[in-house]
Amino acid sequence: MKYILLLLMIGCSTTVPVTVKFPEAPGNVAMTACPQLQKLAEDAKLSDISKTVSVNYGTYYECAIKTDAWIEWYQKQKHIFESVK
Amino acid sequence: MWMLQWLPNWIFYAVLLAGVFGLVASYLIRFLSFIPFLYVYKTPIQLGSIVAIVIGTFMAGAIYDNDAWEARVKEMEEKVAAAEVQSKEENIKIVEKVVNKVQIVKTRGQDIVKYVDREVVKYDTKFAPGGICEIPKEFIKAHNDAAEAPK
Repeated sequence: MKYILLLLMIGCSTTVPVTVKFPEAPGNVAMTACPQLQKLAEDAKLSDISKTVSVNYGTYYECAIKTDAWIEWYQKQKHIFESVK
Repeated sequence: MWMLQWLPNWIFYAVLLAGVFGLVASYLIRFLSFIPFLYVYKTPIQLGSIVAIVIGTFMAGAIYDNDAWEARVKEMEEKVAAAEVQSKEENIKIVEKVVNKVQIVKTRGQDIVKYVDREVVKYDTKFAPGGICEIPKEFIKAHNDAAEAPK
């Protein structure tokens, strides 16, 4: 009887050898961390302040682009992953 | 199923057919009177045939199930391969978008710095320490505090 059970249980040992690779990151640019914002020197001139503020805005927008890219990447990859059924 | 990996499928169908043939033959054994001792083995032949039918039927089902799984695996592999290609294409689009936008931001930043060097610099003396509109230290402090990364 136990051999019959063993024979029947062989049918349960099926494995599915299909693996999905984790998707690649959206490029090296998106993989770099956002830099620190620049600070002003105590004796900063008006032009220094203006430059520092505009550089900091640029830093923010670069970082925002990267974050938006990751959001888009996640949504696209999730959609692709869910379509594989 | 490991048994199906190293034994060809036809063997299991042959076992099933042999079982059916043996069972039928065991009922026809009485007509084979020219072989006298064969009737003695009627019950063992029937039992063996039933075992062969059971194994054959089980394995036929297993072959069908295995084929269905293999077809499903192949289908999944094709879907996964297509998804990987689609994923790479989407990544390329995102990378291109990021590179273009970052370039725009950098170019705009450089243009603004040039503008500051050309136009804003004229007001530096007016806003210099001790000038008409001296920039208070509190302003610098407020800016630097805001620029400080959270710890």
